[in-house]
Amino acid sequence: MEKYLYIALFAPIVGSLIAALFAQSPKNLFTGIFTSALIFVSFISSMILLNYVDMDKIVHVEMMDWISAGNLSVPFGFVVDQVSVIMMVTVTLVSTIVHIYSIGYMEHDESFNRFFSYLSAFVFSMMILVMSDNFIGLFIGWEGVGLCSWLLIGFWYKKHSASWAANEAFIMNRIGDLGMLMGIFLIYWNIGSFQYDVVFANIVNLDPSEVTWIGIFLFIGAMGKSAQFPLHTWLADAMEGPTPVSALIHAATMVTAGVYLIVRAGEIYILIPEVGMFIASLGAFVAVFAASMALVNKDLKRIIAYSTLSQLGYMFVAAGLGAYWIALFHLMTHAFFKSLLFLGAGNVMHAMDGNLDIKRMGGLYKAMRPTAILMSIASVALAGIYPLAGFFSKDKILEVAFNNGSYLLWGALFVGAGLTAFYSFRLVMLVFFGEKIYEKDGIHPHEAHPFVIYALTPLALLAIVAGFFEHSFHEFTTQLLSDYEFTLDHSVGAMLIFATSAMALSGIAYAVYKYKRGGFSENIENWGVYKLLSNQYYIPKLYEVAIMKPFTALSRFAWLNIDNKIVDASVDLIAKTIYGGGEKARKMQSGNLSSMLRWMVVGIVVLLALAIFYRPTV
Amino acid sequence: MDHILSLIIFFPLVAGIFGFLVNKDSIRVYGITVAALEFFLTLALWVSFDGNIAGFQFVEHVTVISHFGMSYHLGVDGISLFLVILSTFMTMVALIGLSIKKDAKNLIISVLYLEMTMVGVFLSLDVILFYLFWEFSLVPMLYIIGAWGSDKRIYAAIKFFLYTFAGSVLMLVGILYMGYLYHATTGVWSFSIPDWQLLVLPFNTQLWLFGAFFLAFAIKVPMFPFHTWLPYAHGQAPTIGSVILAAVLLKMGTYGMVRFLLPLFPDATIYFLMPIAIVAIIMVIYAAMVAYAQEDMKQVIAYSSISHMGIIILGTFAINAEGITGSIFLMISHGIVSGGLFMLVGCIYDRRHTKNMSEFGGLAISMPTFATIYGIMLMASVGLPLTIGFVGEFLSLIGFYKVSWIMTLIAGTGIILGAIYMLTLYKRSFFGEITNEKNRGLKDLNGRELVALVPLVALVVILGIYPKPILTPIDASVKKMIVLMEKKAVTQKAKDFIIKVNTIKGGE
Repeated sequence: MEKYLYIALFAPIVGSLIAALFAQSPKNLFTGIFTSALIFVSFISSMILLNYVDMDKIVHVEMMDWISAGNLSVPFGFVVDQVSVIMMVTVTLVSTIVHIYSIGYMEHDESFNRFFSYLSAFVFSMMILVMSDNFIGLFIGWEGVGLCSWLLIGFWYKKHSASWAANEAFIMNRIGDLGMLMGIFLIYWNIGSFQYDVVFANIVNLDPSEVTWIGIFLFIGAMGKSAQFPLHTWLADAMEGPTPVSALIHAATMVTAGVYLIVRAGEIYILIPEVGMFIASLGAFVAVFAASMALVNKDLKRIIAYSTLSQLGYMFVAAGLGAYWIALFHLMTHAFFKSLLFLGAGNVMHAMDGNLDIKRMGGLYKAMRPTAILMSIASVALAGIYPLAGFFSKDKILEVAFNNGSYLLWGALFVGAGLTAFYSFRLVMLVFFGEKIYEKDGIHPHEAHPFVIYALTPLALLAIVAGFFEHSFHEFTTQLLSDYEFTLDHSVGAMLIFATSAMALSGIAYAVYKYKRGGFSENIENWGVYKLLSNQYYIPKLYEVAIMKPFTALSRFAWLNIDNKIVDASVDLIAKTIYGGGEKARKMQSGNLSSMLRWMVVGIVVLLALAIFYRPTV
Repeated sequence: MDHILSLIIFFPLVAGIFGFLVNKDSIRVYGITVAALEFFLTLALWVSFDGNIAGFQFVEHVTVISHFGMSYHLGVDGISLFLVILSTFMTMVALIGLSIKKDAKNLIISVLYLEMTMVGVFLSLDVILFYLFWEFSLVPMLYIIGAWGSDKRIYAAIKFFLYTFAGSVLMLVGILYMGYLYHATTGVWSFSIPDWQLLVLPFNTQLWLFGAFFLAFAIKVPMFPFHTWLPYAHGQAPTIGSVILAAVLLKMGTYGMVRFLLPLFPDATIYFLMPIAIVAIIMVIYAAMVAYAQEDMKQVIAYSSISHMGIIILGTFAINAEGITGSIFLMISHGIVSGGLFMLVGCIYDRRHTKNMSEFGGLAISMPTFATIYGIMLMASVGLPLTIGFVGEFLSLIGFYKVSWIMTLIAGTGIILGAIYMLTLYKRSFFGEITNEKNRGLKDLNGRELVALVPLVALVVILGIYPKPILTPIDASVKKMIVLMEKKAVTQKAKDFIIKVNTIKGGE
């Protein structure tokens, strides 16, 4: 079985490196097909491993020592267990589809080969992240996906906004990474190992305050990667990247790494329910906060990005409250329908010649029926309507919140469910139905290549049926993860399901009703609330004014005033004083006999004074 | 193999002297050949070096002035071995990348002479000999900056020389006093480092001697606020000067700290630990901010060097095997990465005769290979895992975490600030459309530049993935040194501290 582990892990990097050889040559279809094929191979291997792990077996390999110094020793070790194999399958499945989709999406791009090289490198990093058997290996993948995300967001590097967004994403992530490193350091000095099994076996012996700190630090890392408030601004800006990248990295896989970390370190978080409660509360806040921004945004991709943010909030609620398998389940179903939604949006974007303003679309259903159907499926799944995947996973999270007695959280998520349904269908209605506004811009939409549509069907299928795997998923993952006990009455549970479904349905119904009748009047754009939401609560502005500008000013001050005018000037002052003193003293050596004699007298007086008054004590 | 160390030290000198006889047109080939031979000599040294022995190997000892215990005493251990290899490797790479035609003969001979002094510093076990090489190293650098530099080269060269020289003079006083103390305690004269390491000094004496040595090293590193000579020196020096300065000369300072301060004055080290760590943190953050404010690409890298040296000092003063081993590894990796970055700046300077970032933009379009190599070096500089930059930074920080978690957190902001200034630099220079017509149609890297840069890139990746061959010998020597420090310490506080920072869990 180790063979399959290596194939699953290394096939993507082989593809990436080979595609990189063609990075500077013109488009070569080979790179696209070759990398896609290798990712598919990786997917097949992951499926084989899934089947193997299902028989209660775990594959664990240690390749070689990486770093060792002092008492510290980190190997390159990989483990395929119930959690990592779920991630592997999800990641490789979505990646395969995104790769195939990109062959069509990027067909006219001059840097076609480079794109596939980056994309496969991302998959490799993500595989390291989920397969590592220790925290440092996880950190390698963690930073690796950050690098690939930087490369891919800024893929169209000629665009100022793209490279800006790429840098923002990298730097925001680094803030989280520092937190995570601190957590890792704390683990090391308390336990002396980074291996998951050793750490989890010994974590109970630690002082509770130490465990709390570990939990907090690791979560800061998760906040950066999963774009939780207040490190969330990069995710919406990351939509500057090509759409397949948004689908793969900024919806299905990388941004869920934070959730994966919490799930993986569940044995730590189970000991510190206060931190878990904080995570859940922040998650619930983000779920509503992000959904509210999605309500008014006009940018097709940004709406979906906010939706991703909001759904990550849901996952964190589950993870924070100790329902790890549910968090993982929502992570998986979300990966399917959200990447489908994004890839559909990519088709729309191409049809609209790159225009993203949903107010300039409308009535696209006629021109691109398959995409419309696929995106509608994804939206229904996202809204959480029975029997699609989102229903099962999202409802479970609400149940967990209620079961936990956190009615406030439940209330937030409940409202969030309504908002989700509304903005999803606002998008669908504005894009696919109603008046064809795009005709005014002289755009002639066209559907994507058939093979692109076919590539999306597996995702659509999964978005529909994945929910029915709930029981087997539960059984499978709880072999490793601690189970979550529901104490709710069945009737209460049924009531909750009914209420949430009603909420979602009414959200959809309201959106359909409203936008059938031409939507809201333009007046609301002048409302304070609308402005607040469309400006993202002025948070990006705040960051610019309160952090970036002062930082730049302070840096310039440090350079021009402190470094040049104080530190360096005092060095030069010393030099000038010595030099100036020498210049003045030089006049003594004038060669004039009478002045020389005068100096001699001074010297004799000094020597005499010394001889009389100075008595060394020897 | 008996006299391999002498051979390594004096081969560049002898070859340099013969260099005067070589024809002007073939001097480049000659210089590269000599540097390559020298590099292979150090590789041979590594091959025959026994990584399991923590003490000095290949020791040569010839008494010179027996009356005062001064001798010709050489030796190598895990701490110095890789700095020696780094010196010869970077000299070779820098010579391959050399593009200066004017008076190339004098320049190359100066570089060979400089190589001798660098290797000499790392291999000397006699303190007087160490001091000789330490001071000699200033002369060729003074000449390189002063003769081949930019407009303000004389000012920069003299500032570099006088500033570092002033620091060293105090060290000479310290050396003489230490020699005197050794004589007073044991009755014999000795200037040998292994002898000195066994000498137990009273606490107050340690404080004074520590101060005298520390100042010399602090200026060399350079630590805040003694750093202002460095931006001038880098700003004016030709590429080859900057490469060697950043890659090797700065490391003499941190090497001195590891070799002298820690084992000779353990109590004083612990006593001064916090103030030094605070200064190191200031270096990390302040230099990163100043780097961010720069307009000149080379100055960004110059200030980033100061920032990284701060992390090295933190690792050294963690006083545990993780931290010190990490800081020595970081010396190596920073040498390779900053040397590479300075060479890259040199490549673009040769084409555009400016280093100002506002003149660039869109370079990734006209020079894709250059942009790729720059990108890799940049990622190593910000410490991305699986590049060489991560290992040392990670170990240094994890080491210092045991001393103080809050200070590590503050110093750790360096990894964020590092990303800020480096990515901003990259965006301004390489991304965007070509706005300046002069950047259109620039030639990508040529063969000579690639030969110089590709080995650096290869090392960045290989040692990032497999740093073990370097870490193991360093670690063995460092562990030995820590045991020695603990044994030697005269105050209980220092003993407890050393044990505490080397234990996992407990000892709070």
